Amino acid sequence: MSHVSLHGLSVIVSEDNCLTDAATLTTFSVDGLVPQCAVFPRSEDEVARVLKRAAECGLAVIPCRNTTKLGVGGIPRRYDVTLSLKNLSEIRRFEPADLTVSAGPGIELADFQRLLQPHRLWLPLDPPGAGRATLGGIVAANASGPLRLKYGAPRDFVLGMRVATPDGKIIKTGGQVVKNVAGYDLSRLLTGSYGTLGVIVEISLKLFPLSAARTSWKARVPDLNVAHELRRKILQSPLGPTRMALLDGGAAAFAGGNAPESSDGAEGGFEIWMEFSGSDRVLARCAQTLGELAQAAGVATEALAEGIASAGWDRIADASFLLSEHCENLIALRVTLPIASSESFVELIENEAKKHGVRAACFCQNGVGIVRACLMPKDFDLGLATVITRLRAQAAERGGALVIERCPSEMKKHVDVWGSVGSDFALMHKLKELWDPKGTLSPGRFVGGL
Amino acid sequence: MQERRQEHGAAVRAKASIPLEALARAVGKESLLSQPEDLMLYEYDGLSSQALPDAVVFPSSTAEVAAVVKLAAQYEIPVVARGAGTGLSGGAVVKEGGIVVSLARMKKILEIDPENQRARAQPGVVNLDLSLAASEYGYYYAPDPSSQKACTLGGNVAENSGGPHTLAYGVTTNHVLGLEMVLPDGSIVRAGGICRETPGYDVRGLMIGSEGTFGIVTEIIVRLCRKPEAVKTLLAVYDRCADATQTVAAITARGVTPAALEMMDGLMLRALEDATHAGFPVDAAAVLLIEIEGLREAVEEEASGIESVCRENRAREVRLAKTAQERELLWRGRKNAFGAIGRMSPSFYVQDGVIPRTRLPEMMEYMEQVQKRHGLRIANIFHAGDGNLHPLILYDLRDAEETQRVMRAAQEIMTKCAELGGSITGEHGVGLEKNELMPLLFSEDDLAMMRGIKQVFNPRGTFNPGKVLPTGKMCGELRVQPVGA
Repeated sequence: MSHVSLHGLSVIVSEDNCLTDAATLTTFSVDGLVPQCAVFPRSEDEVARVLKRAAECGLAVIPCRNTTKLGVGGIPRRYDVTLSLKNLSEIRRFEPADLTVSAGPGIELADFQRLLQPHRLWLPLDPPGAGRATLGGIVAANASGPLRLKYGAPRDFVLGMRVATPDGKIIKTGGQVVKNVAGYDLSRLLTGSYGTLGVIVEISLKLFPLSAARTSWKARVPDLNVAHELRRKILQSPLGPTRMALLDGGAAAFAGGNAPESSDGAEGGFEIWMEFSGSDRVLARCAQTLGELAQAAGVATEALAEGIASAGWDRIADASFLLSEHCENLIALRVTLPIASSESFVELIENEAKKHGVRAACFCQNGVGIVRACLMPKDFDLGLATVITRLRAQAAERGGALVIERCPSEMKKHVDVWGSVGSDFALMHKLKELWDPKGTLSPGRFVGGL
Repeated sequence: MQERRQEHGAAVRAKASIPLEALARAVGKESLLSQPEDLMLYEYDGLSSQALPDAVVFPSSTAEVAAVVKLAAQYEIPVVARGAGTGLSGGAVVKEGGIVVSLARMKKILEIDPENQRARAQPGVVNLDLSLAASEYGYYYAPDPSSQKACTLGGNVAENSGGPHTLAYGVTTNHVLGLEMVLPDGSIVRAGGICRETPGYDVRGLMIGSEGTFGIVTEIIVRLCRKPEAVKTLLAVYDRCADATQTVAAITARGVTPAALEMMDGLMLRALEDATHAGFPVDAAAVLLIEIEGLREAVEEEASGIESVCRENRAREVRLAKTAQERELLWRGRKNAFGAIGRMSPSFYVQDGVIPRTRLPEMMEYMEQVQKRHGLRIANIFHAGDGNLHPLILYDLRDAEETQRVMRAAQEIMTKCAELGGSITGEHGVGLEKNELMPLLFSEDDLAMMRGIKQVFNPRGTFNPGKVLPTGKMCGELRVQPVGA
């Protein structure tokens, strides 16, 4: 990046909001590439001007806030500027009685929930990155966790947004009301686009009432056949859990607050965690029905104390981040499958891991067919590329897909993090060209090298 | 501008050169209509009629759809997809001739997979038929437009349709996992799939609600929902409309989300009772029809909570449907509202505005003023829980002057919805009815981006030309006259 273009950016955001010191820039590095500056625009207009300037100068920009998702995606083709949304963190409109809110993308989920709580409202999301994840990042990644079972994903909550584009415009998508079909649904296109089309500068969301109370249960299941049967019975029952997770031995140990390896030598059972919400009477009914279903399946259940449950759910949602602190070579996989394939895929991962001699922990959202698996090799192990490729083929055979959510950069040179593209890729390519013709935003990081 | 010229040019050429023989080869002679007396049946949808199509084809497979579309592309003939023709924004009518592709013969339910809570179906499957087929497994398809006995899944996808029960469960886009679509060049793409998500841009989400301007959907994979254990249906009766709208706000504030929360005003009630004899109170100013679903215990608690909220807000009576038949009757009344109004007035024009729920009282007052200002009668029936209004303006189409007043009133109502931070359409779509009103919601930059997206799918503008986006020919005005009841 030339000195002239760098100067242009700092003029837009002011010197104070354009950092070039090595310490700051290293925190924003992606796959070994360090940007040449990090800008912190103070308004959506500044975001648009930064993008326009960057596009004119041929600079590559990665939008970011708390870096919880910087590891997701292919190795960038170019990377010059980090665009932080830190200064766009305010609530713009909040109508508690309408259950809607519009906010800047930089607000952290935990702070956001704290603002909603006095109104007995919340955003029912437990994405990876937990409370540190920001609204912008969550929406850009369509990130969700076990709560997806009852409530859905960000695509179901986003009512509209304002988006800065590389040609320096601000585009409005959708609206602020809960039902709206005026024009093409650009909000859905932007949700899950990982900042490769435009930079989200405002998000309007649908909110949900907080329920009276919640209780969590865990069922110990001896094997995956029983897990399959119990999960079927629960989904066919009227229970309607808010979240549910099937955990293998390592994952169960981790959810319980221990290291995953502490399960080694145990009998190798599984756990199904479930959470229900409602009034005391409703929760009592859930307990009774769950007890009957578990008994019929020959399985023991245990109510979890509130502290253990909430810490456990947090650890389940944030597992790949927490585990990566102890394993720098951790590989986090996210496999989406037909619901009924959940258990058999967990078995497949376990077998592959065992065969390869790598420690694994599987966190499976067995009510929606999403398996999140952490492979934790002691040292960097290129051999895992073939394991991943085999698992990916198995997922595809079942009509699903496997995405690598986190892995060492070196691994990305050997296996595509997103997998192969479908028949709609030509459309995706044209959409990228439409929004970002010069490849300003995160070039090379998204599906098919977009 | 360039796109508009292309659209117009395509239409002009179409008249001269419809390749009827080639079309007959593509779909079979018995699946092609080209005589004016046959074509007239396909001139209308639920809103309007504009022009006679040049031909109507009835393909029975994706391959046949693709073959027809390729021919149309070759001759640059406009193509309009059609389901049951129940749409209320003119999405299924041709503007200036062209080929209507009816999906009526693609009506197979291909798969119901209760283990994976999903179904795969062709676009011509009637909405309610899917729920009926799934019901033997204990499942149903949640989006339930009032026309669900007739409207098709393909049309639902095109319009991103809603319905009374979308308050709790979401609209079409929240329930569609995957689509197969024939693009305007005849190529076949699949977007989404059989699982909850696929890597990449949400092309599926973009296709839903594209109103036939991106392609023709030939296969749909949807999520199925588990039938609830218990259902309770309440009818709260009010002497003042404002008390009913206040109740809606109070229910939302209480943190209860009913499965459905519908409101009907006095004029609507009298029309309904005349037509259905469902027991709606004819002397009331308004009623709320409220449904609660879920676990037995939760339903009991919520029903009694909602009943108290209704009474606190001066409901003069709260009735609980005691039997399944009573419940059926109430809903049959609700879903036949448009037909009932048809008995009362030679014509009516239905609107589809959305406002933030808390602005309902203000909006109802405004509706009063509009009626007075224009000397019109408006019957109100709406999805109150999500702020989606369906005012029906009664008039006589044969009275040209009155019709003009109706158009002005409709435009004022939509403008007010936009001013209150809402939308001009919640579930009926933009079509050729409201496309010139899009600037009420979107800037020129926003619309330019939408045009760009349309070009990605439909670069020559041959698919459903003149719909969704403003043509610029009549700035900011409603221009299509509804055909009435």
